[in-house]
Amino acid sequence: MDKAVATLDKGTTCSSWNYCGQRLATGSTDGTLSIFDSPDPSSSSFTCNLKTKVHAGAILKVVWVPPEFGDAVACICSDGSLLLWEEIVEDAQPLQWKLCKSFESTSTQVLDVQFGVSSTSLKLVAAYSDGHVKVYELLDPLILKNWQLQASCISASISWNPQKGENQGSSFVLGFNSDTPQLNSSKVWEFDEAHNRWLPVAELALPEDRSDEVYAVAWALNIGRPYEVIAVATQKGIAIWHVGANPELDGRLSVEKVALLSGHGGEVWQMEWDMSGTTLATTGSDGMVRLWQSNLNGVWDEQAAFQPTA
Amino acid sequence: MSGENQGGAIVPYSEEAKKPVVYPLRHGLKPPISRLGISWSRGNSLRVTVFRQPSEDSENEVGGKAVEVRLDGRDGEISDAQWRRIAYGSVSPFALLQSRKNSFASLSKISSTTSPFDAEWWEYVLEYSKDISSLLGNQTSTTQSLIEDPKEVLKKDPEPSNLKAAWELMESFYADKLSQAWLPERLVDWLADYDSLFSSTQETVHSKLVDFQKDLVSLQVIEDEPKYWEVMSSALAVGWLDIVVKLLRLHGSYQLDQLGNRETENGLVEAVAVLISKMPRMRPELEAGKLGECFKAKPDFMKAWEKWRAQIAKLECSTFWIQCAHRQTQEGLRNMLQIMLGNTNNLCTLTCHWMELYIAHFLYIRPFTVGLESMYGLAQKCIQLKPMAASHRLMGLLIGILGENIEVVLAECSKGFGPWMVTHAIEVLTAGSHQADTLLHEERDNLGGISMEELHRLVYAQVLSSHPLTWQIAPIYLTSCIKQGMGLLEMLLYKQPVDHNQLLLKNLEICRLYELDSVSSNIMKIAGMYNWKHGKKGSGVYWLQQARDEARLNRIAQQMFDSVGRSISDENFRQWEGLIQLLGSEPKTAGGLEFLHNYRDFKKSLLQIRDGKTTDAARQAVESLISLMKNPCTPQRFWLPLLHDSLKLLNWEERPLLNVLQTNLLLNKLQELSIARLRPDFIEADLPPHALSSVRLALATNLGRTTLEEQ
Repeated sequence: MDKAVATLDKGTTCSSWNYCGQRLATGSTDGTLSIFDSPDPSSSSFTCNLKTKVHAGAILKVVWVPPEFGDAVACICSDGSLLLWEEIVEDAQPLQWKLCKSFESTSTQVLDVQFGVSSTSLKLVAAYSDGHVKVYELLDPLILKNWQLQASCISASISWNPQKGENQGSSFVLGFNSDTPQLNSSKVWEFDEAHNRWLPVAELALPEDRSDEVYAVAWALNIGRPYEVIAVATQKGIAIWHVGANPELDGRLSVEKVALLSGHGGEVWQMEWDMSGTTLATTGSDGMVRLWQSNLNGVWDEQAAFQPTA
Repeated sequence: MSGENQGGAIVPYSEEAKKPVVYPLRHGLKPPISRLGISWSRGNSLRVTVFRQPSEDSENEVGGKAVEVRLDGRDGEISDAQWRRIAYGSVSPFALLQSRKNSFASLSKISSTTSPFDAEWWEYVLEYSKDISSLLGNQTSTTQSLIEDPKEVLKKDPEPSNLKAAWELMESFYADKLSQAWLPERLVDWLADYDSLFSSTQETVHSKLVDFQKDLVSLQVIEDEPKYWEVMSSALAVGWLDIVVKLLRLHGSYQLDQLGNRETENGLVEAVAVLISKMPRMRPELEAGKLGECFKAKPDFMKAWEKWRAQIAKLECSTFWIQCAHRQTQEGLRNMLQIMLGNTNNLCTLTCHWMELYIAHFLYIRPFTVGLESMYGLAQKCIQLKPMAASHRLMGLLIGILGENIEVVLAECSKGFGPWMVTHAIEVLTAGSHQADTLLHEERDNLGGISMEELHRLVYAQVLSSHPLTWQIAPIYLTSCIKQGMGLLEMLLYKQPVDHNQLLLKNLEICRLYELDSVSSNIMKIAGMYNWKHGKKGSGVYWLQQARDEARLNRIAQQMFDSVGRSISDENFRQWEGLIQLLGSEPKTAGGLEFLHNYRDFKKSLLQIRDGKTTDAARQAVESLISLMKNPCTPQRFWLPLLHDSLKLLNWEERPLLNVLQTNLLLNKLQELSIARLRPDFIEADLPPHALSSVRLALATNLGRTTLEEQ
């Protein structure tokens, strides 16, 4: 039932698979970025074909850039800087990974970065430790070097609405885990074309839970439901929210909390929805992987758990 | 994987809140584990990255492992290759049935007289069921020996599978209208084929026979062996008449040298054998080699039944028994007569589990049983009398079917046999039961507005997507899901890699087939970018053109412009030239591409010039330059680069190449340019600072020389 598909080097701390699951990027404590590939799509064994030192310090998180913009990875480093490396053939040189953009390393730490694709452009949302969120837009779809700062707002978990098609890239959910209570609750942000700015259109927290720190957020793909499903993890557990698709009179979206799952008892590290948006996989500080689903009556429950064993 | 895994996919179905099962995730790393990462890959595959705590010990170089977990939880009974064969083989029958369903639906819209439940429809459903069933048998063929071994009572049939057994149950109860009239006998046949499946958890009549078969070879006087009589009686109890008669004929009294002394004994044995072979059966026909007399109509059967029972009773009371010398024969035969008379105690002792007892009831006690309600009641009674040692998924399924409980049937199919079974069995189920039809086609808010039928198909499609060799058949199931099928299909196609051409073309073919234009243009866009960035610029442009990605193509055209006026190597020029060709000369891109084509021609002729000699090439180049400078398509910002490029021509040693008119034209252009440079929005070309002065000087010199020549 389970088989190892890749072996990682010592000191690896983070990993990310690309959009089709064919390449794995990992970052380590000594600043090395490694890329794993498999020889053909039906094989499931991945070997490391590239190891390059991208930074003097440690890499905390790696995130793949959407494939419509080439093969590239964003690395969040321990000193707060954000680096973009891409695999490209330039001039007469052979195919190699190169640094294409380094976002100014300010005194604050980058906490999370996520990419959103729209029909016209690529946007990057970066959440910083001082509570700032910056949205960057790529100016030239062919070259990953030039980014323009589109917005800087206050609001470190980000999840874009994964919808493909005309509506893509126009909304994301953001939640903070900080000691400033007002910042924390997760909000859904939507881009207002008419005024060219980002606005919060929904808040995914009950009044009494607003100051809870958010560990992770995840937006499920909607393959035909009349509402959106978003999972928000706090210390109280994992909340499943239904968000209405159409705005009400005040411009905000209707929200309903349909479940509160027990979660992992401690911190939730990561949450991912499967391709149909019906099964939620989570990992947490209890060291387990848990799978959650709703049954035919709409009741959410834990379906299975995986315990890593040697 | 340990045996607790029931072999069902993770499908939501209503049940009381149960404790989730915990599965071990083997990674083979030395503890401590610092962190876990998760990522969904194809379909139902979950990839878990396990990170070790970075520690100081240098002996262990492994920092972590990425592990792939498959969540379709198929049991080990069917191999991967076999499952793929079944999956691929089921596609045509399924698709055919759907298209027939659609044409029926459209017909019934036109005329209200046709209903989906008329005779033709049943034929289609049965045909579908038989097609699927034929996929499920095992491939191993039996080698028939030419000489029949009289001591081989049990044929070495190919190993039956649980899946086929389950399918046949569904077929008998829901699809096969003809067998509805004689369901009990149908179950007799079913048990004969599949009793061996229960042997893994407990003793069965089949396992008893198999064991006895082994001993048979070494036995001298078979009729002395108590096992002989027990096994025969058990086989008789479940209706395996041909085996019983075959065993009877092995009785010692048949041997030629014994016949003289044991006439009475033999007579009794033969009498019982004949009675058995003439047993009346409430069914239309029997397979070749099987024993019994068939009756279709109840009155005929009843008459024969009474007569047969009378004959048995008469034999029971005959005086010949006293004359029978062999005690075991006497007891054994009389036991068998008791079975045939329907003695409950005997039947209970000789059968091993409730299903066998159930069959025995149908054969000898209640052959007139008809209707699911009475069948269900009888089943409950038998379960109480002779429960099974361990629960078996086939039994759960049968109880659900008999109890007419559709939800239980679905749950058992799902839990015991997986998403393939549920998806394909639903077709049969909805045809055979109104209740199922309503339940499965009802749209539910809880599921986001889809029906259970659609839900199960979506789940199955996800299972298919989990493997690179079966994802291409998922679209066929997804297109039959009216609400959410397309959404999932789009996601599935989007997640396929583009770096292998064959896979990319296959993907695009599917998009074309299902008219998913936006998905296909997105995929082509990704392919274009992938190729462009990996140095295959031609392919990149091709795919971007197919995708009609104006934004990127415009940017590429802009990049082409940037090469104007720069000195580039022959190799790069060829590539540049090829790309211009590919981009075409659409006037859309601000007239620019036409200029690029002209520039290309000019550049080509420049490259052909050999130093010094005034050849046609040089003159050609001059002509090109002049026409370029005169052409309104040429953007002003390129004038200086063009002239700078042509310095070689302007400073021609041998003789001046431009005449007075031409030189004046260029000088005027330079003048225009100087004025334009004063404007605030003018973009300076990326040239060395003395470019302008060099050109001016060259032109002035040229003017001087030509004027002198023309004088």
